Amino acid sequence: MSQQSRLKQLKLEELLQRDVWDVDEDRHIEVLNQEGLPIKALIILCPMGCYSMAGDKLLMSYEGCVECGTCRVLSSPDKIRWSYPRSGRGIQYRYT
Amino acid sequence: MRVLIAMVRDRFDIVIVGAGPAGCTAAYLLAKAGFSVLLVDRGRGAGSKLLWGGKAYAQPLRDIWPELDREAPIHRWVSRDRFSFVWGDRVLTLEYKLGRKVAFTVYLPELVSWMARKAESVGATFIDEVVIDEIIVRDGVVYGVRSGNDIIRANVVVDAEGINRMLLEKLGLASKPNPYSLSLGVKEVLSLDSKLIEERFNLDKGEGLAWLVAGDITKGIPGGGFIYTMRDSISIGLVLSIGHAADMAEKGLLKEHVSSLVESFRLHPYFRVYWREADIIEYGGRMAIEGGLSYMPKKLYTNGLLVVGDAAGLLVNTGYTIRGVDTAVTSARLAAETIVEAHNKGGFTEDNLRAYEEKIKRSYIYKELVEHRGIEDVFRDQFFFTKFPALATRIGAKLFESDYEEPSMLRALLDSAREEDISILRIIYKLGRVARKL
Repeated sequence: MSQQSRLKQLKLEELLQRDVWDVDEDRHIEVLNQEGLPIKALIILCPMGCYSMAGDKLLMSYEGCVECGTCRVLSSPDKIRWSYPRSGRGIQYRYT
Repeated sequence: MRVLIAMVRDRFDIVIVGAGPAGCTAAYLLAKAGFSVLLVDRGRGAGSKLLWGGKAYAQPLRDIWPELDREAPIHRWVSRDRFSFVWGDRVLTLEYKLGRKVAFTVYLPELVSWMARKAESVGATFIDEVVIDEIIVRDGVVYGVRSGNDIIRANVVVDAEGINRMLLEKLGLASKPNPYSLSLGVKEVLSLDSKLIEERFNLDKGEGLAWLVAGDITKGIPGGGFIYTMRDSISIGLVLSIGHAADMAEKGLLKEHVSSLVESFRLHPYFRVYWREADIIEYGGRMAIEGGLSYMPKKLYTNGLLVVGDAAGLLVNTGYTIRGVDTAVTSARLAAETIVEAHNKGGFTEDNLRAYEEKIKRSYIYKELVEHRGIEDVFRDQFFFTKFPALATRIGAKLFESDYEEPSMLRALLDSAREEDISILRIIYKLGRVARKL
């Protein structure tokens, strides 16, 4: 990569390519009821961009999750079911 | 799960949940004291779920491992601490050159792997890839832990689950997390040759730099930036108050994704020259305690249970430095001491474990927490993270960017204050408030 391209703002998708996951087949986080959730906050603050809108529906793609807990803090157990991936799956940090 | 827990053993003196700095320390000290100890972590190996690369204070760790300096996976000994105010392209920087080896930079996964090996070397059993779903309490006494259908019995459970206190919340010992007590840290790891790091940051071989940044890089969200030089990489990122950032996002005052804020910080003209040819090799996020006493649970002990580290809310944030690793280690040391004493007194009852909270309250951690109580409010104060950097850089512009006339310091201050619409009295009052809390 040239220096020029290194000094270019990267999109989130490009940043995510730097990470490694062993994705669990079971989803460990799930939106149960989006009513009353701070949707804009979830979309902007989830560092991995797991939250997005499909029409009026809030989607959560658990595959790129780093299990940080921010969405848990911004919601409640009746709106977002939140747990950890099993068997060591999920994000595998190599440096951090 | 590599080994079924039941195949190892179904009862331990002590079960420790979480192989972070607190959990590993407790495992090491308790195994060394002769207890049968199980250390459990949900990740693949200790630290694989830990996002943290920064500055750790050495002495509290040396108290436990005198061999630390020689053996631990230390990246660099911090010889310079920097602090910057940023406003647009303008930056005011202060630097302090340290006189001795007080703190080192380290990637926490490497450090806790080392600690977990230490614990295993004195007889602790470490099992990874196991999520603990529940701390089981029967008749008011801790009975053990449950993972799926497996139950492991324990006389004492040490809760070192970290900032997401799912187990403590289930027990009713911690309340639902308050987004205003927590920050979101978003960071990048930049790969850079160690010689280049030393040249760019004016470091001798093996020396490191820790750098905190305040100003408009957080786009008005209470928080700041950090930069740590590692051996052959640099750790950079932002820490943002979750409650405030969420409010701003909901009101439409924050439209950019947090990753874009971190990218703008990486590409800021003042900072990018340090790492212009660096590749981003990792990206991620974690939550962090903002500091003060607000994240401490009501109680740190019950019959057969002690809470340590981040789960206990024991992180000291002074504004100029953040101490979470050494405080976690120290809390675990105090918990281990308490468990040994309780054992000698005849049991792990609440009465015998109460001494842990008293030890914490007598320790430097608590003194620091009380001393800097209210620091979160200072950080949330618009004045500190927006008005002050704006004022400081405006004064700088008047003093150093004048084509003809050079104003006096006083004139530069008075004019800048007028232009920023802040009264001098307010500046003095606010600075006094900051100085009391820092």
